[in-house]
Amino acid sequence: MSASKQDEVTQLLVRWSEGDTGAIEKLTPLVYDELRRLAHKYIKREREGHTLQTTALVHEAYVRLVEQKSVHWQNRAHFFAVSAKVMRRILVDYARKSGSAKRGGGAQKVTLDEGAIISRGRASELVALDEALQGLGEIHPRRSKVVELRYFGGMNNREAAEVLKISEASIERDWRFAKAWLYRELQQQ
Amino acid sequence: MQPERLEKIDQLFQSALDLAPEQRPGFLDQGCASDQELRHEVESLLAAHAQAGNFIEDSASEVAAQFLAESSNEFSLVGRSIGQYKIVARIGAGGMGEVYLATDKMGRKVALKLLTARLINDEQGVARFMREAQAVLTLNHPNIVTVYDIGRADATHYIASELIEGQSLRERLKLQGEIKVAEALEIAIQISSALAAAHQTGIIHRDIKPENIMLRPDGYVKVVDFGIAKLMEGQKPTAVATDVTTKVMVKTAEGLAIGTVHYMSPEQARGLPVDVRTDTWSLGVIIYEMIAGRRPFDGETVADVLNSLIERQPPPLFRFSADVPETLEWIVNKALRKEKGERYQTAAELLTDLKELRRRLEFAAEQERTGSAERGGVSQVATKGERRTFGSAEPVADRTADSGPHTTSSAEYIVNEIKRHKRASLIAFMAILMVSAVGAYLYFSKTNDTTISSIAVLPFTNASADQNMEYLSDGLSENLINALSQLPILKVIARSSTFRYKGKEVDPQEVARALGVQTILTGRVEQRGENLVVSAELMDARDGTQVWGEQYSRKAGDIQALQEEMAHTISEKLRLRLTGAQERQLTKHATQSPQAYQLYMKGRYHALKLTRAETDKGINYFQQAIEIDPNYALAFVGLALAYLPMALTSGVPSWEVVPKAKAAALRAIEIDETLAEGHATLGSTSFWYDWDWQASEKQCLRALELNPNSAGGRFSYAHLLSNTGRHEQALAEIKLSRELDPLSLLTNALEGQILFFAGKYDEALDHLQKTIDLDPNFWLSHLVISRVYSEIGMHAEAIAAAKKAGELSGNSQSNAYRAYALAKAGKTDEARAVLDELLKLSAERYVPPYNFAIVYNALGESGKALDYLEKGYEQKDVRMVFLKVEPIWNSLRSEPRFLDLMKRMRLE
Repeated sequence: MSASKQDEVTQLLVRWSEGDTGAIEKLTPLVYDELRRLAHKYIKREREGHTLQTTALVHEAYVRLVEQKSVHWQNRAHFFAVSAKVMRRILVDYARKSGSAKRGGGAQKVTLDEGAIISRGRASELVALDEALQGLGEIHPRRSKVVELRYFGGMNNREAAEVLKISEASIERDWRFAKAWLYRELQQQ
Repeated sequence: MQPERLEKIDQLFQSALDLAPEQRPGFLDQGCASDQELRHEVESLLAAHAQAGNFIEDSASEVAAQFLAESSNEFSLVGRSIGQYKIVARIGAGGMGEVYLATDKMGRKVALKLLTARLINDEQGVARFMREAQAVLTLNHPNIVTVYDIGRADATHYIASELIEGQSLRERLKLQGEIKVAEALEIAIQISSALAAAHQTGIIHRDIKPENIMLRPDGYVKVVDFGIAKLMEGQKPTAVATDVTTKVMVKTAEGLAIGTVHYMSPEQARGLPVDVRTDTWSLGVIIYEMIAGRRPFDGETVADVLNSLIERQPPPLFRFSADVPETLEWIVNKALRKEKGERYQTAAELLTDLKELRRRLEFAAEQERTGSAERGGVSQVATKGERRTFGSAEPVADRTADSGPHTTSSAEYIVNEIKRHKRASLIAFMAILMVSAVGAYLYFSKTNDTTISSIAVLPFTNASADQNMEYLSDGLSENLINALSQLPILKVIARSSTFRYKGKEVDPQEVARALGVQTILTGRVEQRGENLVVSAELMDARDGTQVWGEQYSRKAGDIQALQEEMAHTISEKLRLRLTGAQERQLTKHATQSPQAYQLYMKGRYHALKLTRAETDKGINYFQQAIEIDPNYALAFVGLALAYLPMALTSGVPSWEVVPKAKAAALRAIEIDETLAEGHATLGSTSFWYDWDWQASEKQCLRALELNPNSAGGRFSYAHLLSNTGRHEQALAEIKLSRELDPLSLLTNALEGQILFFAGKYDEALDHLQKTIDLDPNFWLSHLVISRVYSEIGMHAEAIAAAKKAGELSGNSQSNAYRAYALAKAGKTDEARAVLDELLKLSAERYVPPYNFAIVYNALGESGKALDYLEKGYEQKDVRMVFLKVEPIWNSLRSEPRFLDLMKRMRLE
């Protein structure tokens, strides 16, 4: 990893944590590229039957992309937040694509790994969820963020609290409201 | 929803959740009071919460890794909004970023280009880009893609522009290889029209390449990405600071960014400031590529391409396309002048020339149609004023700016662009930096690490007391020249130019300047007892430093091995990267016999003196060499090259010597088909003797294919082109020849002759005078200049020049031209006197019939002139090849006998 890319990512993380919302737009593609590159490398190296761990990937990307000397936990949390955003986009895009492909392609399903299957129903559910989450973001951005971090980013409440700089209790309250709100939205559709 | 309202809902929801379900209705009675809507809202949320169960509790992130691994796609923005634009689909990527199909708030489809993060991190670059972009917005031209809007939404910079249906010129070239002249011209006209308009407003494109040219199905050509390249220009090469990275970048760039490099102007490649003339250069490259189906400057690596575009002349276009108009060749040459001062100074000038050419071609096509209609007795005259593409009957509207309204408003199209990997944008950008760096390095570096691309081998000094050893010093130098000229990556000055320095004390740096090379090889040969001591020195003339120097002591019999060793060492010292084949070529033993090798050198030494007696000696040596080694291909070429000039310059009938030359040349390529000079010589005999123009052309082209440095091949080819009336092509070819052989008197005189036959009398005079200044004792320069003087009515000068030629050469041809000049000056009696001399001479020796024909024609005796021409045909007089282009015969051109002759010579 070139020093300049590390610099760039670290700088952007700092800027984002300092409130520069534009920074995340620039960070996202960088992180995405790295994650995808790692995933491809991993697939090439490993034989079939291995499960690709998202968290492992994100950790590796983090180590590679962020200059370790000057980091504190804040940066790490923010990095994982960016990853959550990336994951959300990947999943939704994939679901969107498989959903539309399926319409003409019969009942085949997209196999991910044991127990994790996105069926046609699940795919459209994901797309709907994403849209509902956007709606929630418009009226209550923080609650939508909490969902993004927990559901798409795989974070626990403590980690999400670090990113959003609020208490874990607030995270939990946001979560249960958002969950109910989203569920209702999806039911109504 | 009001934030307070939302907070209220949240508060009630959270509190109710903390209560046992049966307590909630009472709590809500109180909390919502009479607000039924609020109560409903909270209750529905509570109900949802109760039903939701595990909904979204299990993170979806784990499956994302699998998607990542499977995804080959880019980070997708599809479905998102950027400013007022809603992104519909990703349609491609360019050097600057991703391109999306999007809709604006009116529902109009646009191409939305998003600048990459890397680029927009350079704040200054963005500022500069935004300024430039504003100017681009004001461009309104049918051949320039309309930019609707440039701006930023949050951190994303975007450009929204007209969406174009069709394919890029790159895709078209991929599908088709090359493009027909008429269509290529049409495309070039539209591009130059776009450039002219942009240049007028001070906007330089900087990145004109087939990827940026869109071809619409309706025939419109649209240039995209105006001024955008400037953003990339401002980038600083921080990411490529270390050596290792540098190498990696260059390597990575080969596949991806090389497309951009090919169209760079020399100044751009060298990292120098650019102006509008960089765009006209790039367009020149595109025109070339459309016609030839290949790029004019190419190479395996970025550095090779740069080297090529800065240093080399591309092969003439007609090599690739037989029907390329000479004017187009000329136009492309002018666009691709290395010196920007010699190029088209504005795109408008280029546009004018292209349009004029189109007009002429259309006119010619019209004439042809009208003519054939008349001949066929059908009154079918093409409608005046109707625009047609030449060579096709399909009417096409003029699509450039000056031709009325255009139809861009209905632009609802899907762009069909090359899909490229997102990383390509970053790598392309890196490559640009690298290219500039490499360019600067190649051209400003004063170290010996630089690849050197040109050399002149000066004749080695014979330092022996024995003058008879001179054949060795001369021969070694010539053989080194021949060996090195086999390397197409190296420009090697031909023997006839470097040997003009023989025996002179010279300043190598001055010589290098005169010959246009970077390095000079000098050497000396001395006999010490049994051994030959050869010393050689290679000098970098740019700074006067010695690149290499060595002294060898060898037996005379080992001289061939020494020559090969030296050629190899020199190529190493020049840092040339040789392919295996080139390596073998350098060290390919021409003969296994040291004795034959020495005889060959002796043969060359004598034959090159060109007098009859010396030529005979030379022939004798070649024959001895061949006796020893019957498979010595070079000796056969030497033999052919000794025979052929005898027919051209001395009074030897062609049938006595040319068939021998031809047989020797045939034998040479039978032994070694890859011998360029063998093909060149055969091309020459087909031309002078067989009058088989096609065969001659084939052989010349094969020679040049085998060795682009082949001075013989270039010379013969230029002569053929000129005499068959392809004047512009001949001029292009002779110029290339002159680059390799700048001081050759023969090459320079031929250039004068070609200019003369092309009707460019002023230029011909100028050039011939320079040739005479170079060496006043070369008869041919005087002979040709005499012809020019006669044609422009400077009779006294014509007579004097022909006289001079006669004094220097003693040949009958000079006398014939003198008689012609005299007759033209009205001095008929003196002309008759010369005729009498010639007739007397013909009793003693052979006087070519063509020469008599000239004199009789000048004296107005056309019947006799035709009789002699007929004899010339029967005797295969080599001078008959001038029939088509020599103005002397203009008075006979309508004579049936002359026409018949022309027909038999396939010169109509």
